[in-house]
Amino acid sequence: MDIYQKCLNWLIKVMRLVGAFALTAMMMVTCVDVILRGFGHPVIWALDMVGFLAVIVLASALPYTHMEGGHVGVDLLVLKMKPRNQAIIDSITSLVSLILFSLVTWQMFLYARELASKGEVSMTVQIPKDPFIYLVAVCFGLLSAVILSDVVRFIGKAVKE
Amino acid sequence: MTPSMIGVLGIVLLVAIFFTRMPVAYVMTLVGFLGFSYIVSLQAGMKLLSRDIYDIFSSYGLTVIPMFVLMGQLAFNAGIGRALYDCAYAFLGSIRGGLAMATVAACCAFGTVSGSSPGTAATFAVVGLPEMKRYGYGNRLASGCVASGGGIGILMPPSVVMIVYGILTEQSIGKLFVAGILPALFITALFIGAISIYTAYSPKEGPAGEKFSWRDKFRSLGKLGDTLVIFIIVMGGLFSGWFTPGEAGAVGAFAVLATALVRRTLTWAGFVKSCYETLRTSCMILLLVAGAVIFGHFLAVTRIPFQLASWVADLNLPPWGIIFLIVFVYLIGGCFIDALALIMLTIPIFYPVVSNLGYDPIWFGVIIVLVTQMGVITPPVGINVYVVNGIDKSIPLEDIFIGCMPFLVALIIGTLALVMFPATVVWLPNLMY
Repeated sequence: MDIYQKCLNWLIKVMRLVGAFALTAMMMVTCVDVILRGFGHPVIWALDMVGFLAVIVLASALPYTHMEGGHVGVDLLVLKMKPRNQAIIDSITSLVSLILFSLVTWQMFLYARELASKGEVSMTVQIPKDPFIYLVAVCFGLLSAVILSDVVRFIGKAVKE
Repeated sequence: MTPSMIGVLGIVLLVAIFFTRMPVAYVMTLVGFLGFSYIVSLQAGMKLLSRDIYDIFSSYGLTVIPMFVLMGQLAFNAGIGRALYDCAYAFLGSIRGGLAMATVAACCAFGTVSGSSPGTAATFAVVGLPEMKRYGYGNRLASGCVASGGGIGILMPPSVVMIVYGILTEQSIGKLFVAGILPALFITALFIGAISIYTAYSPKEGPAGEKFSWRDKFRSLGKLGDTLVIFIIVMGGLFSGWFTPGEAGAVGAFAVLATALVRRTLTWAGFVKSCYETLRTSCMILLLVAGAVIFGHFLAVTRIPFQLASWVADLNLPPWGIIFLIVFVYLIGGCFIDALALIMLTIPIFYPVVSNLGYDPIWFGVIIVLVTQMGVITPPVGINVYVVNGIDKSIPLEDIFIGCMPFLVALIIGTLALVMFPATVVWLPNLMY
């Protein structure tokens, strides 16, 4: 379990770095487009490019955001419970989340394969869409892997308490 | 079971699962998927999951969120809040309650570069709170004005809540931004009024600070210059139709970055931190949007929003009565659920009702922002109060909540005024393009 967690943490950090690069690139590409448009030379690939960079930014942040507890939830009621009951509820909700995001991962792979076989491309510069959907699928897979470690942790806590 | 019965059941299930502290975004995705699959088919539900999520992630219109979040993060880490505070302090510090007024004014100014309410509150909990404590301000007033001031930050464009509202209702984000400017100034004035009334009754809470010479005052204005230029570029571009909102965000983020580099106020570590924080916040918001879209698709097949809209129309209540009912729902809901999550959950339901009544959607957007900002300072779940408490643990939560009360009253008065005089909100955006 220790090695699993270490590998996961490393992967999350790598994805986070990829996301930060894509974010900076998104800002730069948009600014270059705005400036060049001012001189009458709009960048035709900017729109497609920014859309794809946004996919990279958001997908790569998925596991990181979950691990950091970045999502909002209502913990008012649960906080009033005994630690054991808290751990039981957390185990169940994590397990449900795990099933949900495994499903999303699977469907995302199918969607990517479907678009690849159709050869679907972006509007203006015709970049194939499927590699980006594969990336989203991989990141949802990573998110599921993070949630799996949550499930194990919470169940362990529920048993121990 | 009829589709609308399933819809009602879905909403009940949704609320029940909320209280297990499962992330709101996950719950909306889950219930939306289950409900849609039950009514249409499992295969359609599965397809909905991948299509909706990818569509949201790759939507060009939504790139506005990471860009404006980045702009606010860079402004935070580059210490722009401090410069604005120093300026407001030089002008207002010497009068009774002046430091609290300076904090509120600085929140308004910081709102021009930040699109987040807790973000603005966090900035001034770091910058303004220690100053007020140093001058012997009472904990309640000092922490209350910081937590409430965050609400002005989100009313003043850019504003994440308005972006999300604009996307869900297909309204112009530029117009919503412009519509927020006058109400933000109005609420700032009301807050300053609340502080002066409060300190007139309990002068010990906010003693006068040091006096600055006119020379120092004018010197401090120089620090305001950078922020003003950035605001004029971003809003001017949007107002004239030169930029799309996404472009305005990117240009704004770049302008803050460039200014910070020239002034040497941003370290490499600060830049990296801004990027990572932006990733986290953007992912949180967009996963919420994706969840809301999936849940919205489920609601649409149950036909609940349409039935509710026609049911309300048959009620024979005066339109303002319905608006008050909706505002009341937000007030109560805002006490328990995060502002953004609440908006995403309720807009698909309430928006058809409001537009059926013939209200201006831009005006309603501003009202929604105002009302949800009451939610962030009311117990038990007041995110801004938790943020301030997280930064300064020495002030108990109860004191901050009590300190927010005068500002809550000011917010309610402000909202009533804007409900009664909608023209003050829509006048400026109607001048656009």
